Amino acid sequence: MIEFQRHTLSNGLKVVAHYDRSTPMVTTNMLFNVGSKDEDPEATGFAHLFEHLMFEGSRNVPVFETPVLLAGGENNAFTSNDITNYFITLPAENIETALWLEADRLGFPELSGNKIITQKSVVTEEYRQRYLNQPYGDLMLLLRPLAYKVHPYMWPTIGKDISHIEKADRQSVRDFFRKFYCPSNAILVTAGSVKPDTVFSLAEKWFGDIPSGRSNKRNLPPEPLQSERREITVQRTVPASELLMAFHTGSRMNRDFYVLDLLTDILAGSDSGRFTKILVREKELFSMADIYLSGDIDPGLVIFSGRLKNGVDIKEAEKAVWEQLQMTFEVPVTSTEIEKARNRYEFHHLMSVMQAGNKAFLLAFHELLGDAQWINEETDKYMSVTPGEIMNCAKRTFKDSNCSVVYYLSEKNHR
Amino acid sequence: MINRREQPKIIIPTVGDTVVPEILRLSGGVPVYLIRDGEADLLRIEFVFNAGQAAEVKHLAATTANAMLTEGTEYHDAVAINELIDMTGASFLHQADKDTAGLIITTLQRKAEEVLSLAEEVLFHPSFPEKEFRMLIEKRIQSFLTNRQKTSVVAREEFYRAVFGNSNPYGRVTVLDDYKAITPDDARVFHNSYYRRSNMYITVAGKDPDAALPVLEKHFACTVDEKWKPPLFPALKFEAASTGLIFTEVANSVQSSVRMGWRGLTRHHPDFQALQIANAILGGYFGSRLMRNIREDKGFTYGITSVAGALHNTGYITVFTDVANQYRDQTLSEIKKEIADLSVNEVSEEELNIVRNHIMGEMARMYDGPFSVAETIKGLIDYGCELDYYKKFEETVKTISPDKIKEIFSAYYKPEEAIEVIAGAK
Repeated sequence: MIEFQRHTLSNGLKVVAHYDRSTPMVTTNMLFNVGSKDEDPEATGFAHLFEHLMFEGSRNVPVFETPVLLAGGENNAFTSNDITNYFITLPAENIETALWLEADRLGFPELSGNKIITQKSVVTEEYRQRYLNQPYGDLMLLLRPLAYKVHPYMWPTIGKDISHIEKADRQSVRDFFRKFYCPSNAILVTAGSVKPDTVFSLAEKWFGDIPSGRSNKRNLPPEPLQSERREITVQRTVPASELLMAFHTGSRMNRDFYVLDLLTDILAGSDSGRFTKILVREKELFSMADIYLSGDIDPGLVIFSGRLKNGVDIKEAEKAVWEQLQMTFEVPVTSTEIEKARNRYEFHHLMSVMQAGNKAFLLAFHELLGDAQWINEETDKYMSVTPGEIMNCAKRTFKDSNCSVVYYLSEKNHR
Repeated sequence: MINRREQPKIIIPTVGDTVVPEILRLSGGVPVYLIRDGEADLLRIEFVFNAGQAAEVKHLAATTANAMLTEGTEYHDAVAINELIDMTGASFLHQADKDTAGLIITTLQRKAEEVLSLAEEVLFHPSFPEKEFRMLIEKRIQSFLTNRQKTSVVAREEFYRAVFGNSNPYGRVTVLDDYKAITPDDARVFHNSYYRRSNMYITVAGKDPDAALPVLEKHFACTVDEKWKPPLFPALKFEAASTGLIFTEVANSVQSSVRMGWRGLTRHHPDFQALQIANAILGGYFGSRLMRNIREDKGFTYGITSVAGALHNTGYITVFTDVANQYRDQTLSEIKKEIADLSVNEVSEEELNIVRNHIMGEMARMYDGPFSVAETIKGLIDYGCELDYYKKFEETVKTISPDKIKEIFSAYYKPEEAIEVIAGAK
């Protein structure tokens, strides 16, 4: 149970404070309700570029990093399709430095042309390092536009095309900031050994006079129901072929999320899961086979990914995956499998709430979904999933007409 | 009006009253380090053996022996043993490094008894079945071939080969034939020599580690005829480090991985702590000289790092980054420029203070929570350091002078003796 208190400032900034006396540190987590799904289809990669710019200093803080380091802290951020999230961890006594910094880059940005030029170049190198210069690095770049035809989840956070980043100029950066970076579009969470009352009064002190702005009211086009199988084949110079299969599923708030999370754990969460047992060890079709939820806030995907063993025909391999998927809606999972998945859930849940920093993020994320308290209801949701529900949900999900397939074929024969 | 121009008042964290583990011994002498801390109902138990790559006679024996622990035992086949482990919810993390190897087990406190009994089974009774061994090797070959396409991996291996020599386990580069030569028997022989109660220590961390002690005594105490012995590390031979530029082609790569480095120091060298601090200034944190120059000023890279690492009997210093192909030569010369500057000019007190506080904060995080403490002390035990090592390090951090930093750069970062590695397109 993560206990916390909540307070909303008059400018709309939501503040959630969790007191954890077991650590001498505190984490401040600043979540902005803006992600790559909010981008113009002709200017993708912007939310992430912007995240970089937020570390480039503000009116009263020429070098963002220096005060963090002086306070013995560390900081970072990430951007997803749904959110942009910034966090600072430092000794609890120094919490005011973190709030001062977050308030300054929110209230008093200085987005100069030079900084934009350099960060465009850094992001381009990040794009190359993570996606282009890695074997298998472009898998998700291929899958997204296949699975999504309308919804902006069709492009990755880094951007649809690196040329979009090139187009970013001072005006477009300022417009983006004005639209999305304001107190009413943010959630501030603290977790660590600082009491909620202290947090609230410090939040008022540093953020209180920043104008409210407007919260992000989205009107994104929903992805239409997929009606037939989609498939693409690419050739790459990699040592082994890869099979990707993606199925549309519900939103993060849908009960199917918990049902499928448990099912995918039974299938591939551990070495004794069905996929490793049958597809890897017994049939020797794959060297590794995984299935997982994308975890997006809007309706997302269940993704199978398998690395083929050399000499295996990819169609044969796919057939074996379908046999496994079909079994999930024809035969109920066993009580042993359910018990194993529950034990594993309990363990992973305790691990995930062990670090104050992670608790801060989880509270912020659930507050964005609707209520920070929901983090404390997750365990019950998982524990109440029944074998019957799993069968029903699997039947609705694992249909050929709901499937997007990427055949990522090895060009070289490495046998 | 509040004053936004000035940073709010700060305190500097100290290592001061950090958790000090208690050392106990199981019968026969096996050391157990207890770390009582935290509030979660979880337990982390780590088994560390003097069974790293340094102990290998045949290449790949250490890593395959370690990976095979959970691939079948005298009592259960691979599927059955994994089923038993997963049923507890616990995580069994395999670890096989250059100097040590073992298992890190994290479990729900209430499952500890079951989990430790399984730990004994996989650590001391693995059966090295043929089929699972073959599958492991096939999988390793796939990732080996994948890694050959990663410029960062190729550059790293070429660097270690150059700094330690190909005949040394720290420097030896794995080739495809190594996978063809290794057999289940090699792994079995290695296991039999090194995975012994007489050659291990255990760390237990969590809210109530004491509860695990009777179970540890039951499964891991030494027998009468095998007493625990202090670890004996093999004396390794080192070739002279080669210098100059080594280029390896990785076809079709859009970036090049660039490395520069030298043979470094062991943790016991009187300059080791000063080296750590100096290295941080050059490339050990986000605001380092290299990050400011290569990333924030020039935009050549997403990141650049410098590490001063220690092993038994030796150490290494290495600067590494991934840059666009057209910037690689300039990157190497900029790294040299930064080093030259640090060898000639003293750092300002202001810059040194930032690094001091950064390191103090890092140490505070290394001691934040029982599992972090366990990781931290492993690094000390493995290299024969006192458990209050970081208190002394704190003193060095506080008192080191700009002059000493300069001296470190002139002594250990000599551009003319540097190993330079580029892996990328022609």
